[in-house]
Amino acid sequence: MSDDLLRSSQLPGVTRFQWQQLLGPIVVIVVLSYVISSISITFTFLTEGTLALLVMVLGLQVFIGNSGVLSFGQAAFAMVGGFATGLLTVPVKIKENVLDELWEPLKAINMGIWPSLVIAVAIGAFFAFLTGLFLMRLSGLAAGIATFALLMVADNVFFNWRLIGPGPQVMPQVPKFGFVDESIILAVVVMVVVYLIGISRRGRLLRATREDPLAARALGASVWRLRVLFFTVSGGIAALSGAMYAHHSGAVSARDFYLGFTFTTLAMLVIGGATSMWGAVVGTIAVTAIGQVLLEFESGVTLGGIDITLPNGARGVVIAAALVAILIWRPKGITGGREFTLRLPFLNRP
Amino acid sequence: MIQTILDALSYGGLYGLAALGIGLVFGVMRLVNFAHGELIAIGAYLFIVTIDLGLPLSILIAVTGTAILALLMEFSVFKRLRLAGPAVLLIASFGVSVFLQRFYEIIFGALPLSGQIAPWMTGVIEFGDTTITRGSIVTIVLALILLGGMWFFIEKTTLGLQIRAASSDFQTARLLGVRSNRVIGAAFVFSGVLAAAVAFVLVTQRGSVDPLFGVNITILALVGTVIGGLGSLQGAALGGFAVGATISLLNSFLGNYRVYTYTWLFILVIIVLLVRPGGLISNKAVKERV
Repeated sequence: MSDDLLRSSQLPGVTRFQWQQLLGPIVVIVVLSYVISSISITFTFLTEGTLALLVMVLGLQVFIGNSGVLSFGQAAFAMVGGFATGLLTVPVKIKENVLDELWEPLKAINMGIWPSLVIAVAIGAFFAFLTGLFLMRLSGLAAGIATFALLMVADNVFFNWRLIGPGPQVMPQVPKFGFVDESIILAVVVMVVVYLIGISRRGRLLRATREDPLAARALGASVWRLRVLFFTVSGGIAALSGAMYAHHSGAVSARDFYLGFTFTTLAMLVIGGATSMWGAVVGTIAVTAIGQVLLEFESGVTLGGIDITLPNGARGVVIAAALVAILIWRPKGITGGREFTLRLPFLNRP
Repeated sequence: MIQTILDALSYGGLYGLAALGIGLVFGVMRLVNFAHGELIAIGAYLFIVTIDLGLPLSILIAVTGTAILALLMEFSVFKRLRLAGPAVLLIASFGVSVFLQRFYEIIFGALPLSGQIAPWMTGVIEFGDTTITRGSIVTIVLALILLGGMWFFIEKTTLGLQIRAASSDFQTARLLGVRSNRVIGAAFVFSGVLAAAVAFVLVTQRGSVDPLFGVNITILALVGTVIGGLGSLQGAALGGFAVGATISLLNSFLGNYRVYTYTWLFILVIIVLLVRPGGLISNKAVKERV
């Protein structure tokens, strides 16, 4: 693949562990989350939702960014995670009343949020491993289309099979997180995992396969094994994101994780810069901020005595235009695909 | 039984037309154009909005308008991404697609617009005890005419020859004097014309149009283009036909389980990709080595 977007401008030697690269993004996320969620209940809700999206974008980054292979299928694992945690935590009585066609053993199960999250991640990673064994034989466009086909299969199954969920309806009464702290802790854990696995030996080998598959093979790297490993990790993280979303909104349905979700998270990754963890963080923050400002404008804002009301749909237009503009003028994303650094990026051009 | 076969042929023809539109552009610039669906949608909107002017004028406006939008995409976005790889182009076209969907929502509203384009197409013809919908026959005829026309254009005209040359080896074709921007522009115009034809059939069947009108068929046609063999125009049309015919047959044979049609279809797609990553009719130029 000769794609700028998926290539790092950092030399491989720069990927040694540096405290600032890990702590910088974490400090930014923790501080922003607490400041914004302290404004009002609406903003607390927004912060939790954004943290769930951030985890998804990090999950995309760990696979797409490191391997250079495009995947449209990660939302399928978010779906798996959201449904798994919903089925494990929704009270038995609600399941009996609302989800009457559910498989009997699933009706009887009930547990707390934390053990359920662990199981949801395990199931998501398991499915990613299973599908990855086959899908990771492919690369380039074939991989893009095959992972897209995976999303279609997952959507079709979850949307119709009432033995394992609500079908086209919504699964209600999923227990919510009590505080914003839980989402923050989970996001920070994922950031640490994504950063460490990215600079690990296998992470660097996978990036080598992204830059030059033939040379990497000559070094003894099995492209397929490395991709399956990272696809599995990415699937587990995506499942966690789906589960966080379910416990944030208190409900979950198949269409929460379809094309719109896939587009938003992919746009966040590309706008921020796909080849670094910091890129995923910046992209998530930037797209959420643009979206929030435009949402205000859609409901009407008075600026300098003039009432401005943007039509519904303006948000999508601007975010899509931003994505295309970034691809044209800054294909490596806002961060240039680099990790966090205290030096200003424009003084640091190689 | 006859209706089943005719349905499969007409679905196949329709998806073949959509896939050929995507395949034309892919051939010359390695762009898998997600936004083809929004070309189909604008065609449908133009049909519904202008149908009061009479069908011939409405067809003229819809075809021209769709071709202009296709050229506009090329000039405003894809022309600036000539050096980008296929993955970047794919994501960019995803962006263009969402951009246009939201744009239609602003202009035409999120709710469906309805209108009768060609009411005579919904009637049925009876042969003894079998009834055949007129729409499926019109679709088959239209698909045959357009596929034949495209075949003539691609095989027998100079511009068609240049498109074929650019499809099989873009750099060499340029070196030999093929004017690349003109060829790419032509490919976009023809993909717009094909999108308008697909829009005509779909909008007469459904009788309404909304911002997401073209998404479904585009996803399926795109998959058809890929499994048919990227970079080969016959492969694209054949792949689209295969996907359309498979959907139609699965719908008939799955009976009560027809809601799972897409599950089986996309599992088949994944299997085809695993067995033949280059597509059914593969082109050496697009093979990637790993």
